[in-house]
Amino acid sequence: MRGKDDGAHVWFDPIGIRVSPGQMVRWTNRDPGNSHTTTSYHPAIFERPLRMPPGARPWNSDYLLPGQSFSVTFDREGVYDYYCVPHEHAGMVGRIVVGMPTPPAPSAEAGSANPVPEVALSAFPPVEEILAKGIVRRA
Amino acid sequence: MKTIPIALTLMLAGSVPAFTQDVTKSPPPGAFKAVSSLVKLPDFLPGMGQLFVDPATLPAGPFLAYDHDGKLVSTVFMLPIKDLSPDKRFDDLAAPGGVVDHVSVYYNAGHPGVEEPHAHVVLWHVSKADEARVAK
Ligand SMILES: [Cu+2]
Repeated sequence: MRGKDDGAHVWFDPIGIRVSPGQMVRWTNRDPGNSHTTTSYHPAIFERPLRMPPGARPWNSDYLLPGQSFSVTFDREGVYDYYCVPHEHAGMVGRIVVGMPTPPAPSAEAGSANPVPEVALSAFPPVEEILAKGIVRRA
Repeated sequence: MKTIPIALTLMLAGSVPAFTQDVTKSPPPGAFKAVSSLVKLPDFLPGMGQLFVDPATLPAGPFLAYDHDGKLVSTVFMLPIKDLSPDKRFDDLAAPGGVVDHVSVYYNAGHPGVEEPHAHVVLWHVSKADEARVAK
């Protein structure tokens, strides 16, 4: 989780990462002047569309102050998309690919009262790029 | 001696207008609350300082920003980008901070309290050089 001092730009670094089933991912807020969250797209959390494998546990870090961390262990293969609550409309989203999902595509997005804004949808790195590189950083 | 309570009342009433709402020192009086007590944000924001706001005025503010010594450095308005439209205007925003030296306007992606992209309009009450007092 990063941001410029004046808050004009905020982002997850890396924005895309591939891990093996059973691995843990830890987010740390490295932005000295803002709070961020890591929050999964799941109907149980703010009634958002499902953008993770069905049956996998959703997460929500709540606001992390500078220096604070939050961890999630990923057991189920698949593609997991997440966002930052105050910055989704600024395109602050990320994607985690666990294992070698088949098919290698994001979970289907059912109709939802709170759809994902276009600025966020266009920010997700392609699954193929994450599978190929392992780590994808913001351009 | 029935005149004494009356005199006392007059004196108290007369003293109210003389009480000025001084916002130049932290914490400001009245309905202003530390932003870090309202939402989960660091108490001191690099580049801005320690912020106070009257929650009733959100999201626009005014936010009052203080340096590490509790001196007022700026008054900040936060205007959601989506509200800068033909259908919306911001009028009569309070500006209790006094003399303005210069003004900065810049984009902010959002933060707790104003959770959407918005513009910061900063009325600096100190010189450009003294912006350093809230740099970090
Ligand atoms: Cu964020």
